[in-house]
Amino acid sequence: MCGILAVLGCSDDSQAKRVRVLELSRRLRHRGPDWSRIYQHGDFFLAHERLAVIDPASGDQPLFNEDQSIVVTVNGEIYNHEELRKRLPNHKFRTGSDCDVVAHLYEEYGESFVDMLDGMFSLVLLDTRDNSFIVARDAIGITSLYIGWGLDGSIWISSELKGLNDDCEHFECFPPGHLYSSKEGVLRRWYNPPWFSEAVPSTPYDPLLLRRALENAVIKRLMTDVPFGVLLSGGLDSSLVAAITARHLGGTKAARQWGAQLHSFCVGLEGSPDLKAAREVAAYLGTVHHEFHFTVQDGIDAIEDVIYHIETYDVTTIRASTPMFLMSRKIKSLGVKMVISGEGSDEVFGGYLYFHKAPNKEEFHRETCRKIKALHQYDCLRANKATSAWGLEARVPFLDKEFINVAMAIDPEWKMIKPEQGRIEKWVLRRAFDDEERPYLPKHILYRQKEQFSDGVGYSWIDGLKEHAAQNVTDRMMQNAAHIFPHNTPTSKEAYYYRMIFERLFPQNSARLTVPGGASVACSTAKAIEWDASWSGNLDPSGRAALGVHLSAYGQQHVPSVSAGMEPQEIIRDDIPRMMEAGAHGLAIPS
Amino acid sequence: MCGILAVFGCIDNSQAKRSRIIELSRRLRHRGPDWSGLHCHGDCYLAHQRLAIVDPTSGDQPLYNEDKTVVVTVNGEIYNHKALREKLKNHQFRTGSDCEVIAHLYEEYGEDFVDMLDGMFSFVLLDTRDKSFIAARDAIGITPLYIGWGLDGSVWFASEMKALSDECERFMSFLPGHIYSSKQGGLRRWYNPPWYSEQIPSTPYDPLVLRAAFEKAVKKRLMTDVPFGVLLSGGLDSSLVASVASRYLADSEAACQWGSQLHTFCIGLKGSPDLRAGREVADYLGTRHHEFHFTVQEGIDALEEVIYHIETYDVTTIRASTPMFLMSRKIKSLGVKMVISGEGSDEIFGGYLYFHKAPNKEEFHEETCRKIKALHLYDCLRANKSTSAWGVEARVPFLDKEFLDIAMSIDPEWKMVKPELGRIEKWVLRNAFDDEEKPYLPKHILYRQKEQFSDGVGYSWIDGLKDHANQEVTDAMLANASFVYPENTPTTKEAYYYRAIFEKFFPKNAARSTVPGGPSIACSTAKAVEWDASWSKNLDPSGRAALGVHADAYEGAADSKNAGLTNGSSSKLQEIPVEKTATVG
Repeated sequence: MCGILAVLGCSDDSQAKRVRVLELSRRLRHRGPDWSRIYQHGDFFLAHERLAVIDPASGDQPLFNEDQSIVVTVNGEIYNHEELRKRLPNHKFRTGSDCDVVAHLYEEYGESFVDMLDGMFSLVLLDTRDNSFIVARDAIGITSLYIGWGLDGSIWISSELKGLNDDCEHFECFPPGHLYSSKEGVLRRWYNPPWFSEAVPSTPYDPLLLRRALENAVIKRLMTDVPFGVLLSGGLDSSLVAAITARHLGGTKAARQWGAQLHSFCVGLEGSPDLKAAREVAAYLGTVHHEFHFTVQDGIDAIEDVIYHIETYDVTTIRASTPMFLMSRKIKSLGVKMVISGEGSDEVFGGYLYFHKAPNKEEFHRETCRKIKALHQYDCLRANKATSAWGLEARVPFLDKEFINVAMAIDPEWKMIKPEQGRIEKWVLRRAFDDEERPYLPKHILYRQKEQFSDGVGYSWIDGLKEHAAQNVTDRMMQNAAHIFPHNTPTSKEAYYYRMIFERLFPQNSARLTVPGGASVACSTAKAIEWDASWSGNLDPSGRAALGVHLSAYGQQHVPSVSAGMEPQEIIRDDIPRMMEAGAHGLAIPS
Repeated sequence: MCGILAVFGCIDNSQAKRSRIIELSRRLRHRGPDWSGLHCHGDCYLAHQRLAIVDPTSGDQPLYNEDKTVVVTVNGEIYNHKALREKLKNHQFRTGSDCEVIAHLYEEYGEDFVDMLDGMFSFVLLDTRDKSFIAARDAIGITPLYIGWGLDGSVWFASEMKALSDECERFMSFLPGHIYSSKQGGLRRWYNPPWYSEQIPSTPYDPLVLRAAFEKAVKKRLMTDVPFGVLLSGGLDSSLVASVASRYLADSEAACQWGSQLHTFCIGLKGSPDLRAGREVADYLGTRHHEFHFTVQEGIDALEEVIYHIETYDVTTIRASTPMFLMSRKIKSLGVKMVISGEGSDEIFGGYLYFHKAPNKEEFHEETCRKIKALHLYDCLRANKSTSAWGVEARVPFLDKEFLDIAMSIDPEWKMVKPELGRIEKWVLRNAFDDEEKPYLPKHILYRQKEQFSDGVGYSWIDGLKDHANQEVTDAMLANASFVYPENTPTTKEAYYYRAIFEKFFPKNAARSTVPGGPSIACSTAKAVEWDASWSKNLDPSGRAALGVHADAYEGAADSKNAGLTNGSSSKLQEIPVEKTATVG
């Protein structure tokens, strides 16, 4: 990841303004620790903090077209950049950076080029010939982006809220899949996939088609010039990502540079379900596995920092971000700059346990659509910012544009949970990788059920957070919560605690409004709460409430295994060397 | 490097205080990006931000003795930690960290162990049994350390001023070579080498003894579990470091892990003298050389940040820190965490050009002693903080304790600049590495004269800084300077400009007083300004004024010979392809 900050048309081209923009850009430095640059054209400023993943030697930004009349600052990865370069034979490229294509595509195709980009990106492009500019964000919002307006008539664009919140009168999340064009002066959606309308699709399920689509999505993401790895919690999604990566790493350029053995990473409290599950998968795949342990106190001590980085007060996001944030620091300290991660699968396939209660395939499908559309405020935000806090880039193959098209075209009847037919959640995905001859994963892992959210890192994590919050938030504070926080009023002490920290770091009203709220059970949208009458009475944002639903809904016999922590003991091989002891720190720069 | 912050006796053990300490410790995170730790014992806090160099997997801090009654947070490297472990046979060590010996040494030897440590360090140790604590800083002050006092009766220690300046009523640099003991209630000097008294030594110069001492100092510093390199400006000092390091790298543990080809790094404006000289030396030594170019604009854009990190308004320090700061970022982005650098040689051997004017060997020697004692305010501060800003650690073999003892015991008559005998500055060092059979460096490099300070990165760097300051600072501002800044009044627009930035970040009186001032010529101490009557009228802090002195003083063969060598080889050198790719490995 990188950090971008653009200040456009601020009617001030002074040294003081330049210094201010530099200072604000530094707030995004964690995203791009490798180099910074600022480009100034009159009262237009484009600043960039770079994490060098492709072409580290010469890809410093901003990037230009041939005559330097078009300037671009990009945060992201364009996976099809080599193919796009081929389409631009009469253009001269100055760097090997994947983002170098953007300026040239704009020259060739105007604003319509955005849909040609395959990848994750947030970009600002300034055409100095007429001082017009465009801003765009990737389809799903994998990369973060904010837009703000200054009283001086300026428009501000920043990878994170903290880059612009102090200088804008109003600011918002830049909506994913959208483009802002200064010529038109409005935001419009450039991303128009078939599923966006939420019409119920009817393509029959083809396991091999789905498998190939995910494999392609993973293979694309192996494009790197620096050491990388996979985040492996041992759940279905991360295990599949790891299995596919391990299988296809051999032939890649990355493997030639950094070795063909995959590094995998897992975090948890000591003895946690995730650590155990991941160790099992890592042993099966033969990855160089790194385990990181944290204590509840480590996590609590990091909360302020996490909220500062993640820029949310959403309870489940903070709970899940903290271990990821801590792990990212350790991963980075090993010299690894990029990780592939499993976010998005639960949204695309309806993997959350509350989907068990979906009344029919139409409701099921619409809920998956709503969940995908909201990803940028939840798991994308978490995955991007928790890793970027330490100059680590997260890539998410489940949110590949082509893969989503394939997965969201499947008749949702197939995604429905049907215990009577042995179909647990995400069955279509599991089935697609159920290869008898060349198994991707052992069956019991392939069909293992989800550990509920942050419980995977250790059961005492959430309890520890609640306890800590209870010590720091009094009953009287809670009584006044609705008056102090009329918008998205915190309903638990834990939520109140996070909110206090958020408000101190980001006191503006606009900041508060960038965070979603409303009723939710086990991460559902507000709409899906209607699926079960009992839910509205018990709004636990974690998965525990739905877990009760889950267990009581169908007797144990229909559930292949209850949770990741409870798989048959004899399968776990405890003699697997733990990376903490095995000295795997040598991966950074092999000689 | 790491970042340490400790607070003792703040009469507050609330969650709010804990959060505040964590927040303040985060201000040192650039020094130790790899992990953080906090130990809280009642109202005593020891926080640590770790850069993992030795034992990255298990050496997280704070560190403890066996029963965890002694807690220690350390920034530094203890090069003789293995030898010290040997002396502590009955102690159980929990990690492979070089710093763990400190807790055990304290148990065994009490407060007197500090002199046993060979390395660079700042540490704070808490004995929870009686809530006593000690803090200590290495001999020369290679690692930074500040001490402060809160109104609540608390005592604070921090690697950088920024972590305690907002909380303390008063604070100051923790003196190098000193120890603070809560039991004894004050600072005392633990470092007592023979040269400290500034008496004139009489040991005859022995080139091989000096050579062996330096080689040993470099070898010690190859102790690392992570990728490293050498800063190579192409001057004498950095070239010697690179030469010795590449000669002994193959035998070191580091080579087994990271390969036996040495990485070297150089920065400059395009076409600058340093880039050319660095490349020449790198080619000769066969290192994997990385060249970084910066523009004057990039340097100017970084100034605020440089001042925030370096915590000074000293003009030459800021000029020299900026390129080093930019280079450190690039070095870190290659995955390199540690560099060996040539600081200290000019102080020990009187390498600055104004030493040409030293009236006698006594004055010469006393000035070198004064310079070494002030290093922690100048080059040590620069080298440590410019690199630590990006989580890179700088090691400085010229400031090795044993090497210093040897180099400072040489009869200073030998160090005097004597053109009639062909002895240019730092001749004793050059001659020590003048090996005909196995040359360390080609002769013309070994006897090349110093590029004046920041001029090496490109002649337009300082001019660019001055131009920029002239645009930002008006004549009226400078006219009022003595009223606005009565202490260490800036005398140039450039100094005024830096000062204004410094005051914005560190507005307290105490902060201002941590920065040295006073008249100086070409980095001399105030005392040495007396050496030449003309100097006091022309106080240019850079070397240019003295350069005039130099060229005038002896229109000697040395100068023209040197000029000829660098110019003559330039066109050829520029054609040599240089390794500029950012991948290491």
